[in-house]
Amino acid sequence: MSAPLEHPDLELSLPVGNHDPQLTFRDPAGQLRLTARCALRRIHPAAEKATLEFLASPLRASLEKSGDLIPSKIANAAEHACIAPGELWLEHPRVEPISYPWEWTAPQWRAAAELTLRIASEAISSGWTLKDATPLNVLFAGARPVLVDVLSFERRDPCSTVWLAYGQFVRTFLLPLVARKHLSWPLQGTLFVRDGYEPDLIYKALGPWKRFNPDLLDVVTLAALLGRPGKTGRGSQKHLSASNPELAAHILQKRIARLGKQIRGTEKGQNRSEWSEYTQSAAHYQAADARDKQKFVRNALQLHRPSRVLDIGANTGTYSLMAAEADAEVVALDADETALEALWTVASRREEPITTLVANIARPTPAAGWKNLEHLSLLDRLSGRFDMVLMLAVVHHLILREQLPLAHIAELCALLTRRWLLLEWVPPSDPMFQEWLRGRDDLYGHLTEEDLQTAFAPFFTAVDRNELANGRVLFLFARIPNDQSAADPAENEGVEASST
Amino acid sequence: MESPTGYMTILLRIFALVLIISGAALLFERMAYAYADPGTGLLAVQAAGSALVATGWYLRRKIYSLFRQSTAKDEPEKLLDEGSVEDSRHP
Repeated sequence: MSAPLEHPDLELSLPVGNHDPQLTFRDPAGQLRLTARCALRRIHPAAEKATLEFLASPLRASLEKSGDLIPSKIANAAEHACIAPGELWLEHPRVEPISYPWEWTAPQWRAAAELTLRIASEAISSGWTLKDATPLNVLFAGARPVLVDVLSFERRDPCSTVWLAYGQFVRTFLLPLVARKHLSWPLQGTLFVRDGYEPDLIYKALGPWKRFNPDLLDVVTLAALLGRPGKTGRGSQKHLSASNPELAAHILQKRIARLGKQIRGTEKGQNRSEWSEYTQSAAHYQAADARDKQKFVRNALQLHRPSRVLDIGANTGTYSLMAAEADAEVVALDADETALEALWTVASRREEPITTLVANIARPTPAAGWKNLEHLSLLDRLSGRFDMVLMLAVVHHLILREQLPLAHIAELCALLTRRWLLLEWVPPSDPMFQEWLRGRDDLYGHLTEEDLQTAFAPFFTAVDRNELANGRVLFLFARIPNDQSAADPAENEGVEASST
Repeated sequence: MESPTGYMTILLRIFALVLIISGAALLFERMAYAYADPGTGLLAVQAAGSALVATGWYLRRKIYSLFRQSTAKDEPEKLLDEGSVEDSRHP
């Protein structure tokens, strides 16, 4: 969690990036704004009574106790300049960093979906229901999904047999996972669709036999056929109710159980990717080299005790887990989803404070949504948030595969870290460098360690150096304090757009 | 001439229609006021699913009640037998 602001009044005036954020505006019940210290949710007058009823309910207490729901308290008007007399605002703790579904691995999608279904089931048993069910209502606190939208709850008609958020759950949770499994559509593609995939889109893309897969028959085939224009008229505004509340609850619980089965059915077999077995198969690393590297990293972590670490190119997470062991909150970033899946699975099982993001630092996730202001870009969310950044065996990827000049890489590192940068230099003589050089010796074959130091000198001072037996060099750089503090992104922890 | 997919589509539509009609005997309609878009096809799928589950629920109850009736019929005889034992103790 971020450090509190010393002057709460600043929370309204601090911009993010070049724009003021567009906070949530679709839900008629309320709006959200984020400050460095907390999330503030304004409840509109028409929704105040229902919100207070939910806050007083045993369901809310139970969900908060289990950690499935973000804690809420009534915000104190004296602490926040934005609260006008007579307004109801809720205050929630911040979950850092904001992660969007298009940056999650498939197991994270399933974990978020199962969380939503678990909460929906408990709500039904308690006389409540979820009025919406989208992955954008979930954030990851470390490796654990948490529902962050308390306005999703509303009283349930005891006789209703319809879960009105069912359609949204299917479109936004289930069908992207179905498309990934059966059509190899990447989950990252959901960046471009606000409300998921329509059944008809998936139906047309599936082959004739897959349309009759028992797991897809209702949510894809029947939904597509019954949902075509002209098939439903006024009936689409009506839903079935049972005369018996016990039967209605039974029907709803059966529906939740089926969705859970369908979500679990989207698991694929063991995946391999270009990088998922890199740690085990790295032939250019002798055991002694790997030991020396780990010792250097561990020492830096133990000595400087960073509270927040960004691991760029985290792969399966050897160094992310090491940072977590040193009590740091870690953001592990990698473009290889399969490698990151392995890390998330371990982090989730061990309840480590590691948030995994599928992203390429050279082509970071762009801002998205309405006017490009609803969802922040990756760099807006990460800049200046970390005490230490790890870039272990990443720089040569950026040079050779992304064709980035060293000076640009140094500038990016200076943007991300507030204090330390731990970097591994891979020289042109290294087999991995040679593999990607591909005849471009004139452009890159001459690069030396001195070139690296020269490029980083405007932003960093090298405070430690360790050359491994395989020729790679580990550096610990300290960031030179930025005198222009007004332009320092670390100071600009103001209002941000939310994921909900 | 219909293709196999065409036949399956017609069969599925008939199946859904039968479910909705049979379910209508157990369920009734109300207006839906949604915040999230419930979808037209997915709402119809819920209606069909509700009918299916409701049919099973009523059938199961009917079967249970049949067993309960037969048990209830047995019980007076059993009590009578027990009563006769009591009677034999106190002639």
